[in-house]
Amino acid sequence: MPHIEWGFLIVNYLFLGGLSAGLFFVSAFALYLQQKDPAYERLARYSALLAPWPVALGSSLLILDLGNWYRFYVLFLHFRWQSPMSIGSWLLVLFTGITLVYLWSWLPQDHRTGLLRRLKLPPSLNRELSHLRPLLAAIGFPFSIGVAIYTGVLLGAVQARPFWNTNLVAQMFLFSALSSGCAVLILVLSLRPKLLEPAQIRFLYMLDIFLITLEFFIVLPYLIHGQLSVQAVRDSLELILGGPFTVAFWLLFLGLGLLLPLLIEIFETVPALFSKAEIHHNRRLAVLNAALVLFGGYMLRYIFVYAGQISAFR
Amino acid sequence: MSQKRYILVIDSRKCINCKACIVACRAENRVPLGHSRDRINEERRGSFPVLLATFEPEQCHHCENPSCVRVCPTGASHRRDDGIVLVTDDTCIGCRYCMVSCPYNARFFREDRGVVEKCSLCSHRLDRGELPACVQTCPSKVRACGDIADPESEVSRLLDKREYRVKNPQTGNAPQIYYLL
Repeated sequence: MPHIEWGFLIVNYLFLGGLSAGLFFVSAFALYLQQKDPAYERLARYSALLAPWPVALGSSLLILDLGNWYRFYVLFLHFRWQSPMSIGSWLLVLFTGITLVYLWSWLPQDHRTGLLRRLKLPPSLNRELSHLRPLLAAIGFPFSIGVAIYTGVLLGAVQARPFWNTNLVAQMFLFSALSSGCAVLILVLSLRPKLLEPAQIRFLYMLDIFLITLEFFIVLPYLIHGQLSVQAVRDSLELILGGPFTVAFWLLFLGLGLLLPLLIEIFETVPALFSKAEIHHNRRLAVLNAALVLFGGYMLRYIFVYAGQISAFR
Repeated sequence: MSQKRYILVIDSRKCINCKACIVACRAENRVPLGHSRDRINEERRGSFPVLLATFEPEQCHHCENPSCVRVCPTGASHRRDDGIVLVTDDTCIGCRYCMVSCPYNARFFREDRGVVEKCSLCSHRLDRGELPACVQTCPSKVRACGDIADPESEVSRLLDKREYRVKNPQTGNAPQIYYLL
Protein backbone atom coordinates (compact mmCIF):
# COMPACT_ATOMS: atom_id res chain seq x y z
CA MET A 1 0.00 0.00 0.00
CA PRO A 2 1.52 3.31 -1.00
CA HIS A 3 2.20 5.71 1.80
CA ILE A 4 1.09 9.36 1.78
CA GLU A 5 4.36 11.28 1.70
CA TRP A 6 3.11 14.68 0.60
CA GLY A 7 0.51 16.07 2.96
CA PHE A 8 -1.23 19.33 3.73
CA LEU A 9 1.91 21.46 3.59
CA ILE A 10 2.25 20.53 -0.08
CA VAL A 11 -1.49 21.08 -0.72
CA ASN A 12 -1.23 24.55 0.83
CA TYR A 13 1.90 25.34 -1.09
CA LEU A 14 0.43 24.31 -4.45
CA PHE A 15 -2.61 26.46 -3.69
CA LEU A 16 -0.65 29.51 -2.52
CA GLY A 17 1.85 29.34 -5.38
CA GLY A 18 -1.04 29.26 -7.84
CA LEU A 19 -2.76 32.13 -6.05
CA SER A 20 0.24 34.42 -6.49
CA ALA A 21 0.53 33.43 -10.12
CA GLY A 22 -3.14 34.31 -10.59
CA LEU A 23 -2.77 37.67 -8.86
CA PHE A 24 0.22 38.62 -10.97
CA PHE A 25 -1.58 37.49 -14.10
CA VAL A 26 -4.57 39.72 -13.30
CA SER A 27 -2.28 42.62 -12.45
CA ALA A 28 -0.37 42.36 -15.72
CA PHE A 29 -3.65 42.05 -17.63
CA ALA A 30 -5.18 45.07 -15.87
CA LEU A 31 -2.01 47.09 -16.47
CA TYR A 32 -2.36 46.40 -20.17
CA LEU A 33 -6.02 47.48 -20.15
CA GLN A 34 -5.14 50.57 -18.18
CA GLN A 35 -3.72 52.12 -21.37
CA LYS A 36 -7.29 52.49 -22.63
CA ASP A 37 -9.16 52.92 -19.37
CA PRO A 38 -7.35 54.41 -16.34
CA ALA A 39 -9.95 52.82 -14.04
CA TYR A 40 -8.01 49.57 -14.31
CA GLU A 41 -5.05 51.05 -12.48
CA ARG A 42 -6.56 50.31 -9.08
CA LEU A 43 -7.04 46.67 -10.02
CA ALA A 44 -3.46 46.39 -11.23
CA ARG A 45 -2.21 48.07 -8.07
CA TYR A 46 -4.13 45.90 -5.62
CA SER A 47 -3.16 42.67 -7.30
CA ALA A 48 0.47 43.82 -7.49
CA LEU A 49 0.48 44.59 -3.76
CA LEU A 50 -1.01 41.18 -2.93
CA ALA A 51 0.92 38.99 -5.37
CA PRO A 52 4.24 38.30 -3.56
CA TRP A 53 2.84 37.14 -0.22
CA PRO A 54 1.06 33.87 -0.95
CA VAL A 55 4.01 32.50 -2.93
CA ALA A 56 6.45 33.60 -0.23
CA LEU A 57 4.38 31.84 2.42
CA GLY A 58 3.92 28.80 0.18
CA SER A 59 7.66 28.51 -0.49
CA SER A 60 8.32 28.64 3.25
CA LEU A 61 5.86 25.77 3.75
CA LEU A 62 7.63 23.87 1.00
CA ILE A 63 10.97 24.31 2.77
CA LEU A 64 9.42 23.25 6.09
CA ASP A 65 8.16 20.08 4.44
CA LEU A 66 11.71 19.00 3.57
CA GLY A 67 13.33 16.33 5.71
CA ASN A 68 16.35 18.61 6.08
CA TRP A 69 14.90 22.10 5.69
CA TYR A 70 18.26 23.80 6.25
CA ARG A 71 19.60 22.00 3.16
CA PHE A 72 17.12 23.74 0.85
CA TYR A 73 19.98 25.79 -0.63
CA VAL A 74 21.25 22.57 -2.27
CA LEU A 75 18.34 23.03 -4.70
CA PHE A 76 20.09 26.12 -6.03
CA LEU A 77 23.48 24.48 -6.45
CA HIS A 78 21.98 22.33 -9.20
CA PHE A 79 19.83 22.76 -12.24
CA ARG A 80 18.34 19.52 -13.45
CA TRP A 81 16.09 20.13 -16.43
CA GLN A 82 14.48 16.68 -16.20
CA SER A 83 13.30 17.27 -12.65
CA PRO A 84 10.11 19.34 -12.45
CA MET A 85 11.01 20.20 -8.87
CA SER A 86 14.38 21.61 -9.88
CA ILE A 87 12.84 23.73 -12.65
CA GLY A 88 10.05 24.73 -10.28
CA SER A 89 12.28 25.88 -7.45
CA TRP A 90 14.21 28.15 -9.83
CA LEU A 91 10.93 29.45 -11.27
CA LEU A 92 9.60 30.13 -7.77
CA VAL A 93 12.63 32.14 -6.70
CA LEU A 94 12.75 34.19 -9.89
CA PHE A 95 8.98 34.75 -9.83
CA THR A 96 8.99 35.83 -6.18
CA GLY A 97 11.84 38.23 -6.92
CA ILE A 98 9.97 39.76 -9.85
CA THR A 99 6.74 40.12 -7.85
CA LEU A 100 8.67 41.95 -5.10
CA VAL A 101 10.31 44.41 -7.53
CA TYR A 102 6.95 44.84 -9.23
CA LEU A 103 5.33 45.58 -5.86
CA TRP A 104 8.08 48.14 -5.19
CA SER A 105 7.25 49.86 -8.47
CA TRP A 106 3.65 50.35 -7.25
CA LEU A 107 4.55 51.87 -3.87
CA PRO A 108 4.19 55.63 -3.53
CA GLN A 109 7.27 57.70 -2.60
CA ASP A 110 6.39 58.19 1.10
CA HIS A 111 5.65 54.49 1.63
CA ARG A 112 9.01 53.59 0.14
CA THR A 113 10.81 56.08 2.37
CA GLY A 114 9.04 54.80 5.48
CA LEU A 115 9.73 51.17 4.59
CA LEU A 116 13.43 51.77 3.94
CA ARG A 117 13.78 53.64 7.21
CA ARG A 118 12.08 50.89 9.16
CA LEU A 119 14.16 48.15 7.53
CA LYS A 120 17.32 50.29 8.08
CA LEU A 121 18.21 50.09 4.40
CA PRO A 122 20.12 52.83 2.56
CA PRO A 123 17.79 55.57 1.26
CA SER A 124 19.54 55.36 -2.11
CA LEU A 125 17.31 52.36 -2.86
CA ASN A 126 14.36 54.74 -2.96
CA ARG A 127 13.97 54.87 -6.72
CA GLU A 128 10.88 55.67 -8.72
CA LEU A 129 10.24 52.53 -10.74
CA SER A 130 6.71 53.26 -11.93
CA HIS A 131 7.94 53.70 -15.52
CA LEU A 132 9.25 50.11 -15.35
CA ARG A 133 5.85 48.61 -14.49
CA PRO A 134 5.01 47.50 -18.06
CA LEU A 135 8.47 45.97 -18.45
CA LEU A 136 8.26 44.13 -15.11
CA ALA A 137 4.75 42.94 -15.93
CA ALA A 138 5.94 41.66 -19.31
CA ILE A 139 8.89 39.82 -17.75
CA GLY A 140 6.81 38.45 -14.88
CA PHE A 141 3.88 37.37 -17.01
CA PRO A 142 5.51 34.21 -18.45
CA PHE A 143 6.90 33.43 -15.00
CA SER A 144 3.44 33.63 -13.44
CA ILE A 145 2.05 31.26 -16.08
CA GLY A 146 5.11 29.07 -15.57
CA VAL A 147 4.63 28.85 -11.80
CA ALA A 148 0.93 28.04 -12.21
CA ILE A 149 1.65 25.34 -14.80
CA TYR A 150 4.60 23.91 -12.90
CA THR A 151 2.49 23.12 -9.83
CA GLY A 152 0.54 20.75 -12.07
CA VAL A 153 3.58 19.44 -13.94
CA LEU A 154 5.14 18.49 -10.60
CA LEU A 155 2.37 15.92 -10.26
CA GLY A 156 1.68 15.23 -13.94
CA ALA A 157 5.27 14.20 -14.72
CA VAL A 158 5.17 11.21 -12.39
CA GLN A 159 4.64 8.05 -14.47
CA ALA A 160 4.27 5.88 -11.39
CA ARG A 161 0.98 7.55 -10.40
CA PRO A 162 -1.68 6.95 -13.08
CA PHE A 163 -4.05 9.48 -11.48
CA TRP A 164 -1.56 12.29 -12.19
CA ASN A 165 0.20 11.19 -15.30
CA THR A 166 -1.47 13.45 -17.87
CA ASN A 167 -0.82 16.97 -19.09
CA LEU A 168 -4.44 17.82 -18.29
CA VAL A 169 -3.48 18.15 -14.61
CA ALA A 170 -1.13 21.01 -15.44
CA GLN A 171 -3.83 22.79 -17.45
CA MET A 172 -6.41 22.25 -14.72
CA PHE A 173 -4.05 23.71 -12.13
CA LEU A 174 -3.19 26.64 -14.42
CA PHE A 175 -6.79 27.79 -14.95
CA SER A 176 -7.68 27.08 -11.35
CA ALA A 177 -4.73 29.21 -10.22
CA LEU A 178 -5.64 32.15 -12.45
CA SER A 179 -9.26 31.88 -11.36
CA SER A 180 -8.30 31.91 -7.68
CA GLY A 181 -6.29 35.10 -8.33
CA CYS A 182 -9.48 36.70 -9.72
CA ALA A 183 -11.41 35.46 -6.69
CA VAL A 184 -9.06 37.12 -4.22
CA LEU A 185 -9.53 40.44 -5.99
CA ILE A 186 -13.30 40.04 -6.09
CA LEU A 187 -13.14 39.34 -2.37
CA VAL A 188 -10.95 42.37 -1.58
CA LEU A 189 -12.99 44.76 -3.72
CA SER A 190 -16.29 43.51 -2.30
CA LEU A 191 -15.18 43.69 1.31
CA ARG A 192 -14.17 47.34 0.89
CA PRO A 193 -17.09 48.90 -0.98
CA LYS A 194 -15.51 52.33 -1.29
CA LEU A 195 -12.94 50.81 -3.62
CA LEU A 196 -15.64 49.46 -5.80
CA GLU A 197 -16.12 50.37 -9.41
CA PRO A 198 -18.66 48.34 -11.38
CA ALA A 199 -16.38 48.13 -14.41
CA GLN A 200 -13.69 46.36 -12.41
CA ILE A 201 -16.03 43.83 -10.87
CA ARG A 202 -17.48 43.24 -14.30
CA PHE A 203 -14.03 42.67 -15.74
CA LEU A 204 -13.15 40.22 -12.96
CA TYR A 205 -16.41 38.33 -13.35
CA MET A 206 -16.02 38.06 -17.11
CA LEU A 207 -12.41 36.91 -16.79
CA ASP A 208 -13.35 34.39 -14.12
CA ILE A 209 -16.26 33.01 -16.15
CA PHE A 210 -13.81 32.49 -19.00
CA LEU A 211 -11.25 30.76 -16.75
CA ILE A 212 -13.74 28.55 -14.90
CA THR A 213 -15.29 27.48 -18.20
CA LEU A 214 -11.87 26.51 -19.50
CA GLU A 215 -11.16 24.62 -16.29
CA PHE A 216 -14.47 22.79 -16.56
CA PHE A 217 -13.71 21.75 -20.11
CA ILE A 218 -10.43 20.29 -18.92
CA VAL A 219 -11.94 18.42 -15.97
CA LEU A 220 -14.46 16.85 -18.35
CA PRO A 221 -11.89 15.44 -20.82
CA TYR A 222 -9.74 14.38 -17.86
CA LEU A 223 -12.58 12.08 -16.79
CA ILE A 224 -13.54 10.95 -20.29
CA HIS A 225 -9.98 10.40 -21.47
CA GLY A 226 -9.18 8.57 -18.24
CA GLN A 227 -12.10 6.22 -18.80
CA LEU A 228 -10.86 5.51 -22.34
CA SER A 229 -7.30 4.99 -21.18
CA VAL A 230 -5.38 1.91 -19.99
CA GLN A 231 -6.56 -0.17 -17.04
CA ALA A 232 -4.26 1.46 -14.48
CA VAL A 233 -5.71 4.91 -15.24
CA ARG A 234 -9.27 3.59 -15.15
CA ASP A 235 -8.54 1.97 -11.80
CA SER A 236 -7.09 5.20 -10.45
CA LEU A 237 -10.19 7.15 -11.52
CA GLU A 238 -12.22 4.87 -9.27
CA LEU A 239 -10.80 6.97 -6.42
CA ILE A 240 -13.08 9.84 -7.51
CA LEU A 241 -15.79 7.92 -9.36
CA GLY A 242 -16.61 5.51 -6.56
CA GLY A 243 -14.01 5.70 -3.84
CA PRO A 244 -12.74 7.75 -0.93
CA PHE A 245 -12.63 11.03 -2.89
CA THR A 246 -15.99 10.84 -4.66
CA VAL A 247 -17.81 13.33 -2.42
CA ALA A 248 -14.80 15.65 -2.30
CA PHE A 249 -14.52 15.65 -6.07
CA TRP A 250 -18.13 15.85 -7.23
CA LEU A 251 -19.75 17.84 -4.44
CA LEU A 252 -17.01 19.96 -2.90
CA PHE A 253 -14.81 20.62 -5.93
CA LEU A 254 -16.96 20.30 -9.03
CA GLY A 255 -20.28 21.36 -7.49
CA LEU A 256 -19.52 23.96 -4.84
CA GLY A 257 -16.09 25.02 -6.05
CA LEU A 258 -16.57 25.22 -9.81
CA LEU A 259 -20.12 25.07 -11.15
CA LEU A 260 -21.88 27.05 -8.40
CA PRO A 261 -19.50 30.04 -8.70
CA LEU A 262 -19.84 29.80 -12.47
CA LEU A 263 -23.63 30.04 -12.12
CA ILE A 264 -23.38 32.94 -9.67
CA GLU A 265 -21.02 34.82 -11.97
CA ILE A 266 -23.20 34.23 -15.02
CA PHE A 267 -26.29 35.32 -13.07
CA GLU A 268 -24.53 38.48 -11.94
CA THR A 269 -23.24 39.45 -15.38
CA VAL A 270 -26.28 38.54 -17.50
CA PRO A 271 -27.69 42.10 -17.63
CA ALA A 272 -24.34 43.41 -18.85
CA LEU A 273 -24.05 40.69 -21.46
CA PHE A 274 -27.22 41.49 -23.38
CA SER A 275 -27.54 45.22 -22.92
CA LYS A 276 -25.51 48.17 -21.77
CA ALA A 277 -26.93 47.76 -18.25
CA GLU A 278 -24.68 47.39 -15.26
CA ILE A 279 -24.09 44.01 -13.67
CA HIS A 280 -26.18 43.12 -10.60
CA HIS A 281 -23.29 43.10 -8.21
CA ASN A 282 -24.72 41.87 -5.01
CA ARG A 283 -21.83 42.27 -2.56
CA ARG A 284 -22.72 39.31 -0.37
CA LEU A 285 -23.07 37.11 -3.39
CA ALA A 286 -19.70 38.32 -4.63
CA VAL A 287 -18.03 37.45 -1.32
CA LEU A 288 -19.69 34.04 -1.30
CA ASN A 289 -18.69 33.49 -4.91
CA ALA A 290 -15.04 34.38 -4.26
CA ALA A 291 -14.93 32.15 -1.19
CA LEU A 292 -16.36 29.25 -3.20
CA VAL A 293 -13.81 29.68 -5.99
CA LEU A 294 -10.95 29.67 -3.47
CA PHE A 295 -12.44 26.68 -1.69
CA GLY A 296 -12.73 24.84 -5.01
CA GLY A 297 -9.13 25.59 -5.91
CA TYR A 298 -7.99 24.27 -2.56
CA MET A 299 -10.12 21.12 -2.87
CA LEU A 300 -8.74 20.45 -6.35
CA ARG A 301 -5.21 20.41 -5.00
CA TYR A 302 -6.17 18.40 -1.94
CA ILE A 303 -7.88 15.74 -4.06
CA PHE A 304 -5.03 15.48 -6.54
CA VAL A 305 -2.21 15.40 -4.00
CA TYR A 306 -3.85 12.73 -1.87
CA ALA A 307 -5.66 10.57 -4.45
CA GLY A 308 -2.63 10.65 -6.74
CA GLN A 309 -0.34 9.19 -4.14
CA ILE A 310 -2.75 6.33 -3.49
CA SER A 311 -3.00 5.46 -7.18
CA ALA A 312 -0.43 2.97 -8.47
CA PHE A 313 0.23 0.25 -11.01
CA ARG A 314 -0.96 -3.07 -9.62
CA MET B 1 37.62 -5.38 -18.77
CA SER B 2 34.12 -4.43 -19.84
CA GLN B 3 31.73 -2.44 -17.65
CA LYS B 4 29.91 -4.49 -15.01
CA ARG B 5 26.09 -4.39 -14.87
CA TYR B 6 24.62 -5.75 -11.68
CA ILE B 7 21.16 -7.29 -11.62
CA LEU B 8 19.13 -9.39 -9.20
CA VAL B 9 17.45 -12.65 -10.19
CA ILE B 10 14.74 -13.99 -7.89
CA ASP B 11 13.16 -17.44 -7.95
CA SER B 12 10.02 -16.64 -5.94
CA ARG B 13 8.82 -20.24 -5.88
CA LYS B 14 11.68 -21.17 -3.58
CA CYS B 15 10.81 -18.45 -1.07
CA ILE B 16 9.53 -19.76 2.25
CA ASN B 17 8.83 -16.33 3.80
CA CYS B 18 11.43 -16.80 6.55
CA LYS B 19 12.41 -13.10 6.28
CA ALA B 20 16.09 -13.84 6.85
CA CYS B 21 16.86 -11.42 3.97
CA ILE B 22 15.14 -8.59 5.82
CA VAL B 23 17.00 -9.35 9.04
CA ALA B 24 20.35 -9.68 7.26
CA CYS B 25 19.79 -6.38 5.48
CA ARG B 26 18.84 -4.66 8.71
CA ALA B 27 22.03 -5.91 10.37
CA GLU B 28 24.30 -5.16 7.42
CA ASN B 29 22.97 -1.69 6.66
CA ARG B 30 21.80 -0.64 10.15
CA VAL B 31 18.26 -0.12 8.92
CA PRO B 32 16.16 1.43 11.71
CA LEU B 33 13.33 -0.59 13.19
CA GLY B 34 9.98 0.17 11.63
CA HIS B 35 11.48 0.35 8.14
CA SER B 36 13.11 -2.15 5.85
CA ARG B 37 14.90 -1.92 2.55
CA ASP B 38 13.44 -5.19 1.29
CA ARG B 39 10.11 -6.91 1.81
CA ILE B 40 8.22 -10.07 0.94
CA ASN B 41 4.87 -9.62 -0.77
CA GLU B 42 2.46 -12.30 0.36
CA GLU B 43 -0.55 -13.37 -1.60
CA ARG B 44 -3.06 -16.00 -0.48
CA ARG B 45 -5.74 -17.35 -2.77
CA GLY B 46 -8.56 -19.84 -2.56
CA SER B 47 -10.23 -21.46 0.42
CA PHE B 48 -9.57 -24.69 2.26
CA PRO B 49 -8.66 -27.23 1.00
CA VAL B 50 -7.72 -25.61 -2.33
CA LEU B 51 -5.20 -23.00 -1.27
CA LEU B 52 -2.31 -21.15 -2.78
CA ALA B 53 0.16 -18.92 -0.98
CA THR B 54 2.86 -17.10 -2.91
CA PHE B 55 5.80 -15.16 -1.52
CA GLU B 56 7.55 -12.62 -3.69
CA PRO B 57 10.62 -10.83 -2.36
CA GLU B 58 10.90 -7.25 -3.54
CA GLN B 59 13.21 -4.28 -3.06
CA CYS B 60 14.63 -1.50 -5.21
CA HIS B 61 14.60 -2.72 -8.81
CA HIS B 62 17.70 -0.70 -9.71
CA CYS B 63 15.93 0.39 -12.87
CA GLU B 64 17.84 1.10 -16.02
CA ASN B 65 15.66 4.18 -16.54
CA PRO B 66 14.89 5.13 -12.94
CA SER B 67 12.14 7.71 -12.42
CA CYS B 68 13.53 8.52 -8.95
CA VAL B 69 16.81 9.67 -10.49
CA ARG B 70 15.03 11.73 -13.13
CA VAL B 71 12.88 13.68 -10.68
CA CYS B 72 15.54 14.23 -7.98
CA PRO B 73 16.11 18.01 -7.87
CA THR B 74 19.61 17.82 -6.38
CA GLY B 75 21.11 14.74 -8.01
CA ALA B 76 21.27 12.91 -4.65
CA SER B 77 19.51 9.96 -6.30
CA HIS B 78 21.87 8.69 -8.95
CA ARG B 79 22.69 5.59 -10.94
CA ARG B 80 26.22 4.25 -11.00
CA ASP B 81 27.78 2.98 -14.23
CA ASP B 82 27.38 -0.58 -12.95
CA GLY B 83 23.60 -0.06 -12.72
CA ILE B 84 23.25 0.39 -8.95
CA VAL B 85 20.85 3.19 -7.99
CA LEU B 86 21.92 5.01 -4.83
CA VAL B 87 21.01 8.02 -2.70
CA THR B 88 23.79 10.31 -1.51
CA ASP B 89 22.95 11.24 2.07
CA ASP B 90 24.72 14.59 2.05
CA THR B 91 22.80 16.10 -0.84
CA CYS B 92 19.38 14.56 -0.10
CA ILE B 93 17.14 17.37 1.12
CA GLY B 94 14.27 15.04 2.04
CA CYS B 95 11.72 16.35 -0.46
CA ARG B 96 10.49 12.75 -1.03
CA TYR B 97 9.72 13.39 -4.71
CA CYS B 98 11.61 10.14 -5.48
CA MET B 99 9.33 8.20 -3.12
CA VAL B 100 6.25 9.59 -4.81
CA SER B 101 7.76 8.73 -8.21
CA CYS B 102 8.85 5.18 -7.48
CA PRO B 103 6.40 2.70 -9.04
CA TYR B 104 7.63 -0.03 -6.68
CA ASN B 105 7.42 1.85 -3.36
CA ALA B 106 10.98 0.76 -2.78
CA ARG B 107 12.04 3.78 -0.73
CA PHE B 108 11.36 5.00 2.77
CA PHE B 109 11.86 8.26 4.63
CA ARG B 110 14.25 8.17 7.54
CA GLU B 111 12.73 10.54 10.04
CA ASP B 112 15.77 10.57 12.32
CA ARG B 113 18.07 11.88 9.58
CA GLY B 114 15.54 13.56 7.30
CA VAL B 115 16.71 11.68 4.23
CA VAL B 116 15.36 9.01 1.90
CA GLU B 117 16.86 5.54 2.08
CA LYS B 118 16.65 2.43 -0.08
CA CYS B 119 18.33 -0.82 -1.06
CA SER B 120 21.89 -0.17 -2.22
CA LEU B 121 22.29 -3.73 -3.51
CA CYS B 122 25.01 -3.73 -0.82
CA SER B 123 27.25 -1.82 -3.21
CA HIS B 124 29.94 -1.71 -0.51
CA ARG B 125 30.00 -5.52 -0.46
CA LEU B 126 29.84 -5.90 -4.24
CA ASP B 127 32.79 -3.51 -4.53
CA ARG B 128 34.75 -5.86 -2.27
CA GLY B 129 33.75 -8.84 -4.39
CA GLU B 130 31.17 -10.13 -1.90
CA LEU B 131 27.48 -10.82 -2.44
CA PRO B 132 24.71 -8.57 -1.03
CA ALA B 133 23.66 -9.56 2.50
CA CYS B 134 20.19 -10.71 1.42
CA VAL B 135 21.65 -12.96 -1.30
CA GLN B 136 24.34 -14.34 0.98
CA THR B 137 21.94 -15.18 3.78
CA CYS B 138 18.95 -16.64 1.92
CA PRO B 139 18.63 -20.24 3.17
CA SER B 140 16.56 -21.50 0.23
CA LYS B 141 18.74 -19.87 -2.45
CA VAL B 142 15.95 -17.68 -3.84
CA ARG B 143 18.28 -14.93 -4.88
CA ALA B 144 21.15 -14.51 -7.29
CA CYS B 145 23.04 -11.29 -7.85
CA GLY B 146 25.70 -10.76 -10.46
CA ASP B 147 26.98 -9.15 -13.62
CA ILE B 148 24.63 -9.51 -16.61
CA ALA B 149 27.40 -8.20 -18.88
CA ASP B 150 29.42 -11.32 -18.12
CA PRO B 151 27.93 -14.27 -20.06
CA GLU B 152 29.55 -16.75 -17.66
CA SER B 153 27.97 -15.27 -14.52
CA GLU B 154 25.30 -17.15 -12.58
CA VAL B 155 22.63 -14.56 -13.39
CA SER B 156 23.39 -14.69 -17.13
CA ARG B 157 23.19 -18.47 -17.15
CA LEU B 158 19.90 -18.43 -15.20
CA LEU B 159 18.31 -15.94 -17.58
CA ASP B 160 19.61 -17.92 -20.58
CA LYS B 161 17.90 -21.14 -19.61
CA ARG B 162 14.82 -19.99 -17.63
CA GLU B 163 11.76 -17.94 -18.50
CA TYR B 164 11.41 -14.75 -16.49
CA ARG B 165 9.35 -11.60 -16.03
CA VAL B 166 9.88 -8.12 -14.63
CA LYS B 167 7.28 -6.22 -12.60
CA ASN B 168 5.20 -3.45 -14.20
CA PRO B 169 7.40 -2.88 -17.26
CA GLN B 170 4.70 -0.49 -18.55
CA THR B 171 6.03 2.28 -16.32
CA GLY B 172 8.99 2.49 -18.68
CA ASN B 173 11.49 2.23 -15.82
CA ALA B 174 13.19 -0.91 -17.18
CA PRO B 175 13.41 -2.63 -13.77
CA GLN B 176 16.38 -4.92 -13.16
CA ILE B 177 14.94 -7.51 -10.79
CA TYR B 178 14.19 -10.58 -12.87
CA TYR B 179 11.62 -12.99 -11.46
CA LEU B 180 12.06 -16.54 -12.73
CA LEU B 181 8.86 -18.28 -13.78
